[in-house]
Amino acid sequence: MQEVTIGAGAAFLIAFGYYFGNSPFAANLGFSAVIRPLIAGTLVGFILGKPVEGAMIGGTINLIYLGFISAGGATPADIGLAGWLGTALALAGNLEPAAALALAAPLGAIGVVKRNATMSINALFVHAADRYAEEPNPSKVALMNWLPAQLINFALSFTPVYLGALLGGKVVGQVVQSVPPWVIGWLTVAGGMLAALGIALNLRFLLRLETLPYFLLGFIVAVTAKLNLVLIAVAATALALLHVTFTERRAS
Amino acid sequence: MAGTTQVKKLTKGDIFRSWVIWLFFSHANYNWERLQGGAFAHAMIPIIRRLYSTPEEIRAALKRHLVFFNTEPNWGGMIHGITISMEEARANGAEIDDDTINAVKSGLMGPMAGVGDSITQGLVFPVMLSIGIGMASQGSLVGPFLYVLVVAAYLWGFGWVAYYQGYVQGQQLITRLLESGLLDKVRLVATILGSAVVGALAATFVRVSTPLTFTSGQTKIEVQKAILDRLMPGLLPLATVLIVFWLVKRGVSPTKIMVGIFVVSLVGKLLKVF
Repeated sequence: MQEVTIGAGAAFLIAFGYYFGNSPFAANLGFSAVIRPLIAGTLVGFILGKPVEGAMIGGTINLIYLGFISAGGATPADIGLAGWLGTALALAGNLEPAAALALAAPLGAIGVVKRNATMSINALFVHAADRYAEEPNPSKVALMNWLPAQLINFALSFTPVYLGALLGGKVVGQVVQSVPPWVIGWLTVAGGMLAALGIALNLRFLLRLETLPYFLLGFIVAVTAKLNLVLIAVAATALALLHVTFTERRAS
Repeated sequence: MAGTTQVKKLTKGDIFRSWVIWLFFSHANYNWERLQGGAFAHAMIPIIRRLYSTPEEIRAALKRHLVFFNTEPNWGGMIHGITISMEEARANGAEIDDDTINAVKSGLMGPMAGVGDSITQGLVFPVMLSIGIGMASQGSLVGPFLYVLVVAAYLWGFGWVAYYQGYVQGQQLITRLLESGLLDKVRLVATILGSAVVGALAATFVRVSTPLTFTSGQTKIEVQKAILDRLMPGLLPLATVLIVFWLVKRGVSPTKIMVGIFVVSLVGKLLKVF
């Protein structure tokens, strides 16, 4: 794989993409799609001219966030930062997907600070909305629900990613070349295991005694038959429908 | 009241405008104090404008909806629909006070968040992501596109239906939904599908193997090939997933597990176990 250089234009697009995913302007596809590392990685790949590699890296990074759930504002990680900046740096440093995962995971952990900060600041604007409700001025109440918060969000999202992609992209290649091979080996081993974390977090919602056989079947079929996931998903849907039909008949 | 002269009726367009605002701006000013409170009021503005004309009424309605609110935005849209139908009745003279509207909103936001989060974030996103990641790993860009397509259809299609049906059917909708067994069945099918796909994903992506060898007499024995793979291919990845799952179940925080994995893999690498 050829290394890529991240120019100012590409860094701009990457930083803008990260903000867009965190903004309200994607009609609810920001949180659900644009910040997901699979999608972010693909888009970064298109920006840097390596869409397939980007999708692979983004997909791998996404593994640890498979069980990502944001509830009541409590978010365990900034998956958008891991996806957008993580993929960009991995492509610039010519990293293997597993090593990219180990690089992106700490980024995701750091990024939570921004979200917690903005959620505190944003409380000010809902008080401004209270005052406009008193007038009453519905248009200003509406404006207070997005404009000030989004100006801050843009500044805090765009700037670090722009600088990170531009400056980080320059050094990451050299850093990767100068680190001893065992470090890369370590990160690759860690990446292979980190995938288990995302999967385990997702299994919280899936795995019970009732569904354990299906989990094991999926695992075994993938290990031995090397079927693709769409085929496994179709087969699993068929099994699930059978399961529901037969357990229902027994109950009635 | 104005209701004595003329019945105030909302149009489908009014509900649609309200939904579009919610779809875009539900988290635009997300904050620790009132979470989606400001966004709820924002989404009610087309409704308030249509139903109320005096400054007193508009002020009261805006303040009524600027309070704390938080739910899963897609399933929770039913609550907006129900609230809109209550506001319409109120504007036409029905005896519905602020407390009633508040009680309905805050009573429903918890259950809808529970149902919605477990289905949207717990099943739809991860299952579609798993399929997309699997396809991407084989060098196909269809995976990411398929993900966006399905998720958009779900969020926009189902999201609108939930919002509008909340308005049309009112509170009975949620009672009916929770009491009929349909929701449980859908969830069970999705859970089984999810378990199988995630199992396959674990086999594809969790990479744990050992370069350990030992010599017995003249022959060099590779632990991975000669012992583990003969026992069961994929044994170490499966064991890793189950151990991490056990830790998660015991309540160990994901960050601690992440740090633990970095440490274990470092020690393993240095001791040449991995």
